[in-house]
Amino acid sequence: MDKQKWKHYWRVLSSNNLGLFGVALLVIFLCIALFAPFIAPFDPTERVGSPFMKPNGVFLLGTNDIGQDIFSELLYGTRVSLLIGVIAALISIILGCLIGVIAGYFGGKVDSFLMRLVDLVLVIPFLPLMILLAAFIGPSFWNIVLVISLISWASPARVIRSQVLTLKTKGYVEAARSIGTGIGVILTRHILPGVIPIALSQFVLAASHSILIEASLSFLGLGDPFTKSWGTILYYAQARGAFLTDAWIWWVLPPGLLLTTLVIGFAFTGYSLEEILNPRLRKER
Amino acid sequence: MWKFVTGKLLQYVIVIMLMLTLNFLLPRLMPGNPLVFLAGEDVGFMTSKEKEAILEKHGLNDSIVQQYGTYLKNIFTGDFGFSYQQKRPIIELLKERLPWTMLLTGLGLVLSTIIGVLFGTISAWRRGTKTDANLLTMFMFLSAMPSFWVGMILVSVFSAQLGWLPVFGAESAWSNLKGMDRFIDIVKHLILPLTTLVLISVTSTFMIMRYSMLNVLGEDYIMMAKAKGVKEKVIKYKHAMRNALLPVATVFMLSLGFTLGGATVIETVFAYPGVGRLMFESVLSRDYPLIQATFLIITFSVVIANFLADLIYPILDPKVGKHNG
Repeated sequence: MDKQKWKHYWRVLSSNNLGLFGVALLVIFLCIALFAPFIAPFDPTERVGSPFMKPNGVFLLGTNDIGQDIFSELLYGTRVSLLIGVIAALISIILGCLIGVIAGYFGGKVDSFLMRLVDLVLVIPFLPLMILLAAFIGPSFWNIVLVISLISWASPARVIRSQVLTLKTKGYVEAARSIGTGIGVILTRHILPGVIPIALSQFVLAASHSILIEASLSFLGLGDPFTKSWGTILYYAQARGAFLTDAWIWWVLPPGLLLTTLVIGFAFTGYSLEEILNPRLRKER
Repeated sequence: MWKFVTGKLLQYVIVIMLMLTLNFLLPRLMPGNPLVFLAGEDVGFMTSKEKEAILEKHGLNDSIVQQYGTYLKNIFTGDFGFSYQQKRPIIELLKERLPWTMLLTGLGLVLSTIIGVLFGTISAWRRGTKTDANLLTMFMFLSAMPSFWVGMILVSVFSAQLGWLPVFGAESAWSNLKGMDRFIDIVKHLILPLTTLVLISVTSTFMIMRYSMLNVLGEDYIMMAKAKGVKEKVIKYKHAMRNALLPVATVFMLSLGFTLGGATVIETVFAYPGVGRLMFESVLSRDYPLIQATFLIITFSVVIANFLADLIYPILDPKVGKHNG
């Protein structure tokens, strides 16, 4: 990808309010995640107050059932949600790229077999399957990442395959093939650069899905017991009945709002990337 | 058409066999005592005689191939095993819970489709306007919200704070309500979980309807109808919406998997006694056979629904049938 093109993308992105908004949100969350120890007033794993305290000058969002500062928990929770979302999305996109490129480039039986596989995976109700797997292999950070990425590669694979199919018929690819260029060179030099932009937008969308899935798993008590994500905070809020008391305003509302905002950040970025990379869409609007 | 249907059928048989095999292998491949996975964590309190009986029942002393045969035979004769935690055969538990899940997801699917189609049509019809932008943004926000959180907020506001609706369950316990009163009671309990389910699943229908409608509106026959001076309403609903509905029909059944998954989480929030809640309860108590059975029943439902959709689709879209033979 040459510099000129990226500059062009940036110009389109910055003329696109939605995308700009999305990117801004992501940057803010990244900062919170990076600087959590400096912003957070307390260590989220320490009991710093008495249980079930209302918000006050010291504890901005009150304390939870064992006296930990909810505000600090939220700041640190950003790390878990972002990290799991990004890593799981990265793995599933790499898998999706691999399978999509192989299927699209080689075609024929390989293609129909792999696409059948994609269809199979897409039929399976993914959240129940994740619950099953998470329950059996046990909750830990890497298991959650593994479970999410094992199931979310399928739809990116399909999108990438169709991109490869169009790239394959491009003149320069056919030319390279006709002069006997090796498969490896064609794939890395000619196909991959054309796939990467699509993969990028798919990655951003996959990240937003992964974040929601992680939250759901944690909410069901299948999250990593050693790291507290926003989903885990809500799990405790639910288990202690916080949503039936006034505490819902400072204990239940904030984690969900943060989750929604983060997912929106990814989604807006993803959709605008798609629009940038698919000029036809841009014209239609 | 038959080639198309049998091809699809084969695909679903493979899905089911894969999931059955996964379910068979999971307890046997995980490190640790397979008895824990087959009988649940209560295994520690069992006598050696009881343990022996379980080993015998699952044929754990047999070869792995024989075990697999026994396992398949049990499943296909409706024997999902025994929940040692709940002290009941699993099939009984499933029979009790399934109707509630079907009620919730069935209504949820229908309502979210209707709402999604309506707003998708409006949005596409007014594309590029403020209405369109607002609808798009609203639906994107909806899909970004975690389902369980939406449920919790609704309970906080409408049950706990305002006291308008019941907090949990599918009907009031010990009330012995009959007839109309019981019906109203059930509806009251259904409102919040149903609203949550519709809110989180409506976006996919909306997006697809909007996109498909945009495509249809660009077709020549719409232009022709406009040129002929056909009334706007007639074009919108009779010419365009009808044709744009096709892709929605495929999504309707496909989104069943998503909706059922969403229902798992939502039922948990509302303690709604469906299969999803059962799955959560079994996860909490590490009742492994029950986790597996609930997963299987959800998978079966999704696969059956998908197959039904495939049967209906060629009728809706004659082109599919012709292309495939």
